[in-house]
Amino acid sequence: MGLLSIIRKIKRKEKEMRILMVGLDNSGKTTIVLKINGEDTSVISPTLGFNIKTITYQKYTLNIWDVGGQRTIRSYWRNYFEQTDGLVWVVDSSDLRRLDDCRMELHNLLKEERLSGASLLVLANKQDIKGALTPEEIAKVLNLENMDKTRHWKIIGCSAYTGEGLLEGFDWLVQDIASRIYVLD
Amino acid sequence: MEEEQEEPQSITTTAAALSADPALQKKHQAMLDRLSNRHQPRQKSASSASTAAFLTQFSDSRHSIESQLAEASSSKLAADPSLMKSHMADFSSSISSLEQLVAENSHLLPPYELRSALKSISDLKQSLENLNPKKKFSFKSKSQNQTQKSSTAAQCQALNTAPAAPEQPAPRFSVQDSPGFRNKESQILAKSFKGSEIGEFTLSDLESCEVRLIGPVNALFINRLRNCRVYAGPVLGSVLIEQVDSCIFVLASHQIRIHRARESDFYLRVRSRPIIEDCGGVRFAPYCLSYDGIEDDLKAAGLEAETGNWANVDDFQWLRAVPSPNWSVLEETKRISSVEI
Repeated sequence: MGLLSIIRKIKRKEKEMRILMVGLDNSGKTTIVLKINGEDTSVISPTLGFNIKTITYQKYTLNIWDVGGQRTIRSYWRNYFEQTDGLVWVVDSSDLRRLDDCRMELHNLLKEERLSGASLLVLANKQDIKGALTPEEIAKVLNLENMDKTRHWKIIGCSAYTGEGLLEGFDWLVQDIASRIYVLD
Repeated sequence: MEEEQEEPQSITTTAAALSADPALQKKHQAMLDRLSNRHQPRQKSASSASTAAFLTQFSDSRHSIESQLAEASSSKLAADPSLMKSHMADFSSSISSLEQLVAENSHLLPPYELRSALKSISDLKQSLENLNPKKKFSFKSKSQNQTQKSSTAAQCQALNTAPAAPEQPAPRFSVQDSPGFRNKESQILAKSFKGSEIGEFTLSDLESCEVRLIGPVNALFINRLRNCRVYAGPVLGSVLIEQVDSCIFVLASHQIRIHRARESDFYLRVRSRPIIEDCGGVRFAPYCLSYDGIEDDLKAAGLEAETGNWANVDDFQWLRAVPSPNWSVLEETKRISSVEI
């Protein structure tokens, strides 16, 4: 417990949060990060490797790790698990064919012990596309209700294209992490 | 054990000698040194004694847990979820107390014993998990045997009041199809998106077809095509291609991802770098499509300018400095001439 309390103290001082963005390829992870940060989203190449963004959000500093989702590089996700406070799982709500893949990868991820304490935000992205599933439908397909009861999670529909829903999602995530890590002074 | 018996003797001799003759003090000192040297091995023998004690204790409780587990899995317990649950809690607490025992003794255990103890604990945990499939996510349980499956379902129903059947929620949605062309052979398939609300479009399971898509679309999914030609207007979002063989694609899009393509040619205009994964024999060339009003559509999609990215292909399975053998630029003489649809 000694180490944990030291880590907590250090984090409290710096008010830092480490957030890991993962999901299948083509789900819009990089676009979401850039959109939140107010950057140009018109030219984004599929992520080969990862990007890190440090964003000041409310009174916190968010270190967002945006990791590429192509099948070949999914096995490297585990290199980023350490000390993750928040997990953002991004879903392409219009890609009906790969929802099974999506669910499998998510549940594999949630088995990971190093992520067991992380708050989970599921972003049902691409709500702007006609024919996209609603967040409620995505929650059902991903079997979120049957997740480990101790997990803090929330699903929110969003569009990285219009920006809708992104702030709502990150507000929840940051508040949830803050209430766990930064016990009220 | 011999050493331990010997020691008291030598101590008494020393004490006697010391009281008898002070001149023997030097000898006494040497003896003390010898004794302190003995201290090391003595500790070792003490620890080997407690290692043996530990091993006995460990194997006793391990066997008791194992036999309980075996009993639980064979008996009718499995049929009664609530009873099963309380037993599970017992098992997991006795396994964790076993783990605790190992942790407490870990500093004096020889590495091999420690490793084998940890191994048997993880084996126990594994067999507990096998017995209690609820811990795994239900969609995995398909591969497990029938009795376990039914107990999983029973547990889920008991624990979860949500009406959603956790076993297979997916099929309900895969039935609900998005717009697209599917399961066609040797046909010309044309679709205009002009004036319609922008959405997604899917091409799937086509053989020897020609596909003509006019007007902008938001997202294009292409899956399992053989010997097809696909001509498409601008895609505002991304194109996702998977499993195509001997095809020709003429596409304009913000993002293009190509998976498992064989012997296919791609004529692209793309704002970002196209990527390939698990591909072989794919060739790239610039976009070459025209239809009535394509200039306006391209402009509206931000794709009016040639970016040159059609040749900047990233191969996710070839992360080296030398060019990937999986793709190449299509020689100009081998390219198709501009296509009008």
